Amino acid sequence: MSSNQVLSPQLIPWITAVLLLFTYRRVRWQRILSGVSAIVAVANAIYLLYCVLTNGTLVFWAGDWLPPFGITMVVDTFAAILVLLTALIGASCIFYSFSHIDMQREKYFYYFLIQMMLVGCNGAFIAGDIFNLYVWFEILLISSYVLLALGGEKKQLRETLTYVVLNVLASSFFLVGLGLLYAATGTLNMADLAIKLPQIENQSLINLISVIFLFVFGSKAAIFPLFYWLPHSYAQPPAAISAIFGGLLTKVGVYCLIRTFTLMFIGDSTFIYTLLFVLGILTMVLGGLGAICQYQFRKILSFHIISQVGYMLIGLAMHTTLTIAAAMYFMFHNIIVKTSLFYFAGATEEISGTGDLRQMGGLIHRFPVLAWGFFLGGVSLAGVPPFSGFFAKLLMLQGAAEIGQGWAMFFILAVGFLTLFSMIKIFMYCYWGQEKTLAVISTSGYRRKLISPWLLVMLSLVVGFASTPIIEVVLRAAAEISDPNLYIQAVFSKIN
Amino acid sequence: MLAAIILFPFICAIILACCGNKISPQTGWFVLPIPILLFVYFLCQIPAVAAGTGASCSWPFLPQLGIDFSLALNGVSLIFALLISGVGVLICCYSQGYLTHKENLTTYYCLLLFFMGAMLGVVVSRNLMVLYLFWELTSFTSFLLIGFWHQRPQARYGAQKALFITVCGGFCLFAAFVLLYTVSGTLDIETLIQQKEQIIHSSAYIPILILIIVGAFTKSAQIPFHIWLPDAMEAPTPISCFLHSATMVKAGIYLLLIMTPLFGDNTLWFASLSLFGLCSLIFGAFQALKQTDLKGILAYSTISQLGLIVSLIGFGSQASLTAALFHIVNHATFKGSLFLVVGMIDHSCGTRDIRRLGGLAKVMPRTAVLAACGCLAMAGLPPFNGFLSKELFFSSAIEAVTANLAFLGPVAWLVPALAVLGSVFTFTYCLLILFRVFTGALPTDLPQIPHEPKAVMLLPSAILASFTLIIAFFPNLLAKYLLTPALNGLLEKTVVIRISFWHGFNLTLLLTIIVFLLGFMLFKAWPKARKYFFSLPKRFSMNAIYDQLIPGNGLIAQAKKTTDLYMTRRLQDYVALNLLFFLILTLGSVLLGADKLYLLQGTTPVSLFECLWALCIIAAAIGIVKSKRRLPAILCLGVVGYSVSFYFVVFCAPDLALTQLLIETISLALFLLAFRHLPLSFADKPQSRRRKTVNLFISIFTGCCISLLVLIGMANRFYPSISEYYIENAQTLAGGANIVNVILVDFRGLDTMGEISVIAIAAIGVFSLIGLALSKPLNRKGGDDQ
Amino acid sequence: MEILMAIVIGALFTAGTYLLLSRTFLRILLGISLTSHGVLLLLIAMGKLKNGVAPILHEYAASSYVDPLPQALILTAIVIGFGVTAFIIVLCYRTYQVLGNDDTEICRGIENE
Repeated sequence: MSSNQVLSPQLIPWITAVLLLFTYRRVRWQRILSGVSAIVAVANAIYLLYCVLTNGTLVFWAGDWLPPFGITMVVDTFAAILVLLTALIGASCIFYSFSHIDMQREKYFYYFLIQMMLVGCNGAFIAGDIFNLYVWFEILLISSYVLLALGGEKKQLRETLTYVVLNVLASSFFLVGLGLLYAATGTLNMADLAIKLPQIENQSLINLISVIFLFVFGSKAAIFPLFYWLPHSYAQPPAAISAIFGGLLTKVGVYCLIRTFTLMFIGDSTFIYTLLFVLGILTMVLGGLGAICQYQFRKILSFHIISQVGYMLIGLAMHTTLTIAAAMYFMFHNIIVKTSLFYFAGATEEISGTGDLRQMGGLIHRFPVLAWGFFLGGVSLAGVPPFSGFFAKLLMLQGAAEIGQGWAMFFILAVGFLTLFSMIKIFMYCYWGQEKTLAVISTSGYRRKLISPWLLVMLSLVVGFASTPIIEVVLRAAAEISDPNLYIQAVFSKIN
Repeated sequence: MLAAIILFPFICAIILACCGNKISPQTGWFVLPIPILLFVYFLCQIPAVAAGTGASCSWPFLPQLGIDFSLALNGVSLIFALLISGVGVLICCYSQGYLTHKENLTTYYCLLLFFMGAMLGVVVSRNLMVLYLFWELTSFTSFLLIGFWHQRPQARYGAQKALFITVCGGFCLFAAFVLLYTVSGTLDIETLIQQKEQIIHSSAYIPILILIIVGAFTKSAQIPFHIWLPDAMEAPTPISCFLHSATMVKAGIYLLLIMTPLFGDNTLWFASLSLFGLCSLIFGAFQALKQTDLKGILAYSTISQLGLIVSLIGFGSQASLTAALFHIVNHATFKGSLFLVVGMIDHSCGTRDIRRLGGLAKVMPRTAVLAACGCLAMAGLPPFNGFLSKELFFSSAIEAVTANLAFLGPVAWLVPALAVLGSVFTFTYCLLILFRVFTGALPTDLPQIPHEPKAVMLLPSAILASFTLIIAFFPNLLAKYLLTPALNGLLEKTVVIRISFWHGFNLTLLLTIIVFLLGFMLFKAWPKARKYFFSLPKRFSMNAIYDQLIPGNGLIAQAKKTTDLYMTRRLQDYVALNLLFFLILTLGSVLLGADKLYLLQGTTPVSLFECLWALCIIAAAIGIVKSKRRLPAILCLGVVGYSVSFYFVVFCAPDLALTQLLIETISLALFLLAFRHLPLSFADKPQSRRRKTVNLFISIFTGCCISLLVLIGMANRFYPSISEYYIENAQTLAGGANIVNVILVDFRGLDTMGEISVIAIAAIGVFSLIGLALSKPLNRKGGDDQ
Repeated sequence: MEILMAIVIGALFTAGTYLLLSRTFLRILLGISLTSHGVLLLLIAMGKLKNGVAPILHEYAASSYVDPLPQALILTAIVIGFGVTAFIIVLCYRTYQVLGNDDTEICRGIENE
């Protein structure tokens, strides 16, 4: 199915971004524009998902050039769901920002940068060309650099440099891998690569290239030895920014890992999947351990991003339809819940005037809505039924059990415990106990900030209750992704 | 209908959460009808269940994973459902008197309702995953209820402990259920039992069995997972009564009961249940003797009584299962009433320390009567229901010696002996409670002046206490309507149960008499014997392990050590680790496939000039590294940049060369501009010699690795490039002669759009970085601010 | 020529990563620049190093042009790289101004912030 609609998730934020440039310094207009565009983007993403579900994979051939030569954009079920989630998270972030971000940041292109980041995310999700993917990645990254540093506070700048240098390093290696890939196959189109790579007899070269891409996407996804940039930097900027980072950025890396390692690098699977499995387990465990020893609200959450990426990685590494579906479900669940938790963190930090758990306490007395919202989000993250996290874990466990991966089962549950441990720790430190002095005395304004995160938590609950159709969709997405031929056929269905 | 009944408390709880503040402080009266309704419903179900046609409902939820939302009432679940809703009624009533109006009543009753719904869910679900769902919900509501008075550090500690231990057990169950599904393809309990053969012969059978036992033990506070229960007593007393004595802790028992048909004939199953059950029985009773807090005594006593039930399930005979079911009900009645009594004592005296209390019978006569009923029933004296269950317990223990535990040989006789020992302790502490608290002189230093509690509190306790007698006199009523259907369901055959006071002179009676005698002697000798008990280790080591691990921060300290190992917060460490990982990955895979990778395949000639230029680049690169001042370094960078554009010329890329020249010039200008504001020195900050060597090695290895990759890349080509298409069609299809330009603006136009966006974002980034400063910049010569 | 290119690229990466491993902002910056130059050369080397003609169409046979695609990619990469570098330069400048030091050690921050 060909359709220009494929480009719409890109175009909506892109056009908004351009318009936002013209309303520079007029915050009111910026808000209205971003708000409207966010709603349009969500509606469009829902429609796109609907189209994909009814018509199958959608492909857009830029400039109408034949597939391996021009750039293609592909939306299959997996990508469509992610586009939808990106739109949702983008919208929630924008609405949260209205009451959260200070006017000065708003004046300095905050909304523009958010929109460009959404362009980058969506681009990465629907790119069908590996170099094009690099370009979207760069858009995503540079907007994230700017967002991280926006405001120029000391603590922000301190972390931004680390973040930037490590990501630039990874981007350089992206180009290295890309060069090797082009040299070996003479093509950049992912579908074309999917045809050519598995046919090469000499798989050792492909393994070599694939580990470079593992390195590149791994450092974006924050997998085991590559995640140093994440935990501290995500705790510094305003919560709206860390929320959208925490929800989306690493998932782009995970998405690319899943995409490339199910579509392209599938020739010599045992080598790469074993590697992924080991890295995944280490990521899970170290992320979890990192989280439990922190006392900074958002650092705990940030470390848990890492540990959750580990889950997705082992889902990919076990590479059955069920485990890949589980990995996807984990992504979706994590995007929703992690973002909402960051919002709660932001609201809490604003109320108590600190991010240090040991200086907080007793917020449940005066801010019950906040406390219970966080509690629900936290237990959802920890995978407690009937929230979405439970079904993610269930799928993963089931998948692991089916292939007799006892160790995977053990670590899935053990790390689940670590997650619960830190969520309960936060809850007990921040919300329970004697009330301590608060930075904010008035309690009137904070409810508005809780709309976005509560909606997301409710979404997590709904996803849990409505898991029948959702798991259906996820299984379908996983089945699609497990069969590269579908992707290839969709891309090459163009006949001039 | 059944589903509606289960959902009913949840819906009520949500409604209450939304508008609870409007009806506070009368919340309790609004909530009370809910459990009454449930209780009446379950009462009406008795005949249907006895006839084997209990209400049920089912609809598919996640058929892909075998999860159906199926609920059904059978004999066992009906007993539990009646207990839950019945005790629930009493608790709602009692709480109304127990909690003051200042407490957060909305939260309290909401959680209570949530718990009630969840607990009912556990006992009526027919699908294991649905059971697990409700199971976890009970753990979490229990956590929140224990922490109801979260201002107290002890309450937080107890809540956390209870949650962590029960959730760990829950995870074990989760794993067990997933494995069961993998083995049998179903999660429906009935179907599972039908597929017993298949499950028994799978390799996962023993792991499943162990995981289920662990899950049940954590919930039912059996050794070695019992440690959370005494600390959970920080909860308000009605909660302790309801959750931690009458219902929630029995969820583990319930699970063991319904799993009996599946695992009942496995040696490991009944050996471990009997062993751990008896251990808990003795240990709990022994610990109860040493407690000074009344609730502490009751908590350990609960552990011990639950141990009794678990060992009865372990014995596995028809009689022992009858006894188990019977004792579940009995325990709820006498322990429930005792808890409520303790709550009243606490409420009216302001303390529950057994050393400070005494002589309360004078001021609280009604309470004393209720306490006597409860204590004597628990001690197993006639004419209370405790006597009946104790008789059944002893006879089952004796029976087990020759039946299920016969493989132990003569050692099996230890079982009745241990049972007797446990009962002796039980007998003693029951008497201790009764006599220490209610007889003697009334102390004068109580925090409050004791008085008889309100009727709303007395009544529930009285109802439970009266049941200890009613059941004792009409045990067969219970047996006929509740126990028989339950047992029929469990054993899948029709049995008739008769429970009677008098069995004639036999071994059982002898044991009972021994218990009474020894118990009475111990009670009499208690003031002297006491110190021998305390000379034994005070704390069981499981508690020490837990305290070390969680509140003692053992886990956190270990985690911190691990994390600090790599999260050094030094950029150069991170870069080094990243590069090392890259090296391991690439060199590793090169080595693995070394035999199949070509390094060189035909070379193109090279001119001297190009060689010289290469030397020039290398020299400039070294120059940068070596340079101590910034200007030469930046100039060297310029040399490198312009040399790169020279190579572009060599490789016939005029557009690139031009662009590179341009960009290099702008970059240099930018560098110079920005570094006017940076320090003059280009020397690196001091690093240790070792560190420098490591850095050097890493960078040389990276360089070599990249060289290797370049060679491999150039030598291993498998397909012709797609650019032939561009060369052929640039003119005809895209109408341009400069192919690179055509590719950029037409074939791959989207890349160019992205590229422009990047530049735009970068420009805006620069602009906002310079323009917006929420932290004031320091004076440029200013020193370190930390 | 292949070996020569490999050596040059390797040397650029060696110097670049060595600089990246230092503690001074400026050295890190130049490290990034050097590695990105290395990457550009690597990309052009991945097209065939044949001595053809520049990819501007004349009456030559189609096989005599050098591979135009890597060139297009490099062009994009140069521009993107420039954008990123420019941002980092300003970031370093700004960080130095606000934190008062050009040592990455200062980026370690304090434990609880």
